[in-house]
Amino acid sequence: MSYDVTIERCGQKALFDLKGALDAVSQWAGDALPSLPIRPNSRTEEDGIELFHIGRDHWITRAPLAQEDAIEARLKPTDCPADISIVRVSDTMTFFCIVGPDAGQVMSIACPMDLHDSVFRTDAVSYTEVFGLKALVMRCQDGIEFAVEQSFADMVEDYLIRATA
Amino acid sequence: MVQRNRRASGGRIDRNRPLHFTFNGKLYEGFEGDTLASALLANGIRLTARSFKYHRPRSIMGHGVEEPATLVELDGEDASGNRPATTVPLRDGLSARSVNCWPSPEFDLGGINQLLSRFIPAGFYYKTFKWPNWHLFEPSIRRAAGLAAAPESPPASGHFEARNAHADVLIAGAGPAGLQAALEAGRAGKRVFLADEGAEAGGSLLNRNLSIGGRSALDWVEDAVAELRGMENVTHLQNATVWAYREHNLMIVNEREPELDGVLERSWRVRVGEVVIATGATERAMVFGDNDRPGVMLASSVQAYVNRWGVTPGQRMVLFTNNNSVYAVAADLAAAGMQVEAILDCRKTVPPEAVKLVPDIPVHAATVAGDVRGRKGVRAVKAVPVTGGAGRWIDCDVLGCSGGWNPTVHLWSQSRSTLRFDEDLAAFVPDEAVQNCRAVGAAAGDLTLDRIVGGGEDLAYAIEPLWRVNVPGQRGKAFLDVQNDVSVSDVHLALREGYDNVEHVKRYTTGGMGIDQGKTGNINIIGTVAMQKGVPLQEVGTTTFRSPYTPVSFGAIGGLREGWRLFPYRHTPVTQWNKDHGAVMYEAGARWRRPGYFPKPGEGLQEAVNRECRAVREGVGVYDGSPLGTFELKGRDVPKFLDFIYSNIMSTLKPGDGRYGLMLSEDGLILDDGVAFRLDEHRWMISTSTGHADAVNQHMEKLLQTEFPDWQVLITTVTSQWNNATICGPKAREVLQAVDSDIDLSPEAFPFMSFREGTVAGFPARVVRVSFTGELSYEVNVAPRHMAALWDKVMEVGAPFGILPVGSESSHVLRVEKGFLSLGHEVDGTVDAYDLGMGWVMSKKKPDYLGKRSVQLRRSGGGTRRELVGILADDPNQQIPEGAPLTPGGRKEATDGLVTACVWSVVNNRWVGLALLEDGHARQGETAHVRLKDDVIPVTVTKPVFHDPEGKLLRS
Amino acid sequence: MMNITCPFCGKRNESEFIHGGPVGAVRPDPNAVSDEEWVEYLTVTPNPLGPVQEKWWHARGCGEWFSIWRDTRTHDIVEAPDGTT
Repeated sequence: MSYDVTIERCGQKALFDLKGALDAVSQWAGDALPSLPIRPNSRTEEDGIELFHIGRDHWITRAPLAQEDAIEARLKPTDCPADISIVRVSDTMTFFCIVGPDAGQVMSIACPMDLHDSVFRTDAVSYTEVFGLKALVMRCQDGIEFAVEQSFADMVEDYLIRATA
Repeated sequence: MVQRNRRASGGRIDRNRPLHFTFNGKLYEGFEGDTLASALLANGIRLTARSFKYHRPRSIMGHGVEEPATLVELDGEDASGNRPATTVPLRDGLSARSVNCWPSPEFDLGGINQLLSRFIPAGFYYKTFKWPNWHLFEPSIRRAAGLAAAPESPPASGHFEARNAHADVLIAGAGPAGLQAALEAGRAGKRVFLADEGAEAGGSLLNRNLSIGGRSALDWVEDAVAELRGMENVTHLQNATVWAYREHNLMIVNEREPELDGVLERSWRVRVGEVVIATGATERAMVFGDNDRPGVMLASSVQAYVNRWGVTPGQRMVLFTNNNSVYAVAADLAAAGMQVEAILDCRKTVPPEAVKLVPDIPVHAATVAGDVRGRKGVRAVKAVPVTGGAGRWIDCDVLGCSGGWNPTVHLWSQSRSTLRFDEDLAAFVPDEAVQNCRAVGAAAGDLTLDRIVGGGEDLAYAIEPLWRVNVPGQRGKAFLDVQNDVSVSDVHLALREGYDNVEHVKRYTTGGMGIDQGKTGNINIIGTVAMQKGVPLQEVGTTTFRSPYTPVSFGAIGGLREGWRLFPYRHTPVTQWNKDHGAVMYEAGARWRRPGYFPKPGEGLQEAVNRECRAVREGVGVYDGSPLGTFELKGRDVPKFLDFIYSNIMSTLKPGDGRYGLMLSEDGLILDDGVAFRLDEHRWMISTSTGHADAVNQHMEKLLQTEFPDWQVLITTVTSQWNNATICGPKAREVLQAVDSDIDLSPEAFPFMSFREGTVAGFPARVVRVSFTGELSYEVNVAPRHMAALWDKVMEVGAPFGILPVGSESSHVLRVEKGFLSLGHEVDGTVDAYDLGMGWVMSKKKPDYLGKRSVQLRRSGGGTRRELVGILADDPNQQIPEGAPLTPGGRKEATDGLVTACVWSVVNNRWVGLALLEDGHARQGETAHVRLKDDVIPVTVTKPVFHDPEGKLLRS
Repeated sequence: MMNITCPFCGKRNESEFIHGGPVGAVRPDPNAVSDEEWVEYLTVTPNPLGPVQEKWWHARGCGEWFSIWRDTRTHDIVEAPDGTT
């Protein structure tokens, strides 16, 4: 028997890269976004809009693709002050969901980071490695979700198929 | 098929499940639970191998990973080489062959080496085969040495897997000490990783008849395993060897029989808080003349075959020891109905509690094995007083030896933790831990069970070391390393020749360098060196223990990374279109798969490339430029930053405008070339060459975070947010207009080196007027989600204009015709911008930028520089190999240049080349000479541009 | 394979990081130093047998550049020696 998992190459979502000091970004975002997570490598979610704090002075927000233009209109990337940066990056990443009882085992093939429940908690999110590539990893319902640079998505799909063959 | 040495009952094998296997072409039977070695012994197969150097007949000596003598090669789906027969689990249909012999171990032609052995001492090959050099002879000598070849093809089915794991505690070994440690850690709620190399847990308890608290020790094992199975926080693996102890407590484990269909072997990289080394102890061989004769075995191995596998390796035993452990062996053998003729014990007095275990067996104290009879199998052993004197022959067919026990300190020592020589145990034992690890049980020198598990019952150890038998009248070689045929006399020779450091002795004699890494014999080499030099063993020390502890297959280490998965690869949304349209795909830097060229049926590379180039020069072509590295930079200090990292000035750009620039490293070498655009006051976009995108990102972040933390610059990588179709050629504007764009494409409104945002084919687009071909060119950037549709639209609308897709071969030709530099061709880590004729890119206004001082410094010496020039052979049809050297007058002299590129130019209808040539700029019009192996090609030196030297076309 | 502590992410596998060389001298004003001083700045970098301060980049992580003291003999990551930062 092979691994008991389902692998999904997820559809696109709206992504915006936010950089700058916490206060400056919060102030500019105003009501456009939920409050920014402060603890390193943690995430928050409100009304389907997620925020990931994945680097010093660095967040990514994720939302359904249908909201991409609306969020951009509210965030006004081209108008924001010089000391913060907002860039639409929806196309830069492809997300995969590994779901099922053996999701942890499949991820252990791909990723050197400790994803055990006791260490990598429900609200955890982090850049790490998946198959040697920089990848954004977090939990999802019954498994793990991760994203790689979009151009590597076909390769990662190949690797996942091989790993779970 | 009769297993004539199989006992009627007993052992951890399943007599109801017979397995059939072949060994050297003959069919045999064994049982589920056997190893290949136990099955061969059950069938009475004595001669199983020939030795490495002298091709002496050998049999099975051990029962586990220590086995030095019998290596086999497996065929068929198990194909693998040099496997100790003792570590190969038996399965139905297994097919194994001995290594080192041809045609068979009974009749081996290589055995002639035995007669020549006095002419091939240690170092013989190094001394003899040294002219012109060793490497000339090495292949044939290695072949004659005859270790197994690597399998020719990968396994027919299944795959390897490598995975990562994390634990609070890793325990290496599931013998009594390891199980005890696992129970304690598991009960405390720690995340435990327990790995053991054996097929089942229990370690040495499986081989012995011991009691714990009045019950069979194996009942205790069963209870422990069951309790561990019930703990969610415990991972317990059998058939899993912890083979490497790396820095920061990273342990590598090879699991050979994972319980998952299709996975052949699994490699675990386990990062742990604490390592518990419970690897037990390994019995050592005894050193005496002809101690390698078939039938000479480790005493504990004889015991293991009897108790664990229900096999009697012989009928009449003699045991030879320097410690108490063989007395329990003798008792077990007697209980199994074997005839134990005698115990030879080199100790002056044998402890009475040991003798009490074997009331019916003659025990000869202060006696050693002085000689062995029987070339292809032991027939008798000579019992000789340890002080010398007349001996007495005792008939036997197996001689079981115990030279004492070595704590298995391999992992301990790999961790860099120290060893000390314990005089009481006569063994190296763990001393000070360097990483967070501890040794327990026999690995720590606790060689009796009661010290490991409360209530364990066995004899005290009581060793008196005997590093070699030294009685007169021994004739045969006394082997220290049975696998590599290293004898006492080889070590003596090494010492005489000055190789007296134990590491030198090892390399000169090859002692301990076999695949068993001297598990039974290294200590005797150290003892022999100590005796010869008259120093304590502590002073001689051990050789360095290195991973792997036991052999590991490459497949397990590689995991998924085999074949085309060896390296990562990247696609653009057009990759599939390219493949569908017959592109020959290349890897083109930074792991991107890109089209090299698009041959029509029957067309070769050159014809296809010429066709694509003509389309760009005369009509229109399009290429997928998505892999270019692209970054958005934001902040007040971006202008200052760009002025620092580019050699020219970027800060003066107006929104919408761009500029080509060079990035230098601090030592003045060219790091990258690319284009910077100002999007608005504080937002910028730069593009880099495909292959250097990551390096440039690293470079910029390093400067900003480590050198200029106060500069306000924020960088976002957008390489994969913007894909592009670059439409190039005289008809590019017409095609883009036909594709439909709301951008005013007129040259006045949208000039060269500028940037416009708008829509193209209805998609949001950033259009950039840059040119890497020398023609009018529009780089149309859209989001990847729109790229395939844009591409289809461009191809469809461009068809009436004769548009062709252009591969990287044609891009190369087009840039060479223009003399545009290419990193890796013209930029090779020695040239600067002046050499390339690009002095204009080196700002004189800026007081400082990266690389400026270094370039100045290098040029201030006034030495000759190699400068970029064009070269044309007299014969237009003369192709010049890229990379060919130029020499003065074409003579056989130091080169004065090299050819960096040579392509067939469709606009010139001839081969044109670029070269780096000493003083090249001053030599235009002169003749230079390309020197080939059998030819000299005179070339005319020209300017490095063969098409549109004024650059009118790209600005059109 | 070392286990390196990133100031933002905590301990991570070495494979997530890129080594950025030893921490060398502060870049001098190139217009205010002699040729010899400039060459020394470029070419003389710390290479001790023992603790060395090094730059590392959490490339396949949060993107942070930071420095650690690593003992070149053992790979042990150690405290900064007295008198350094």
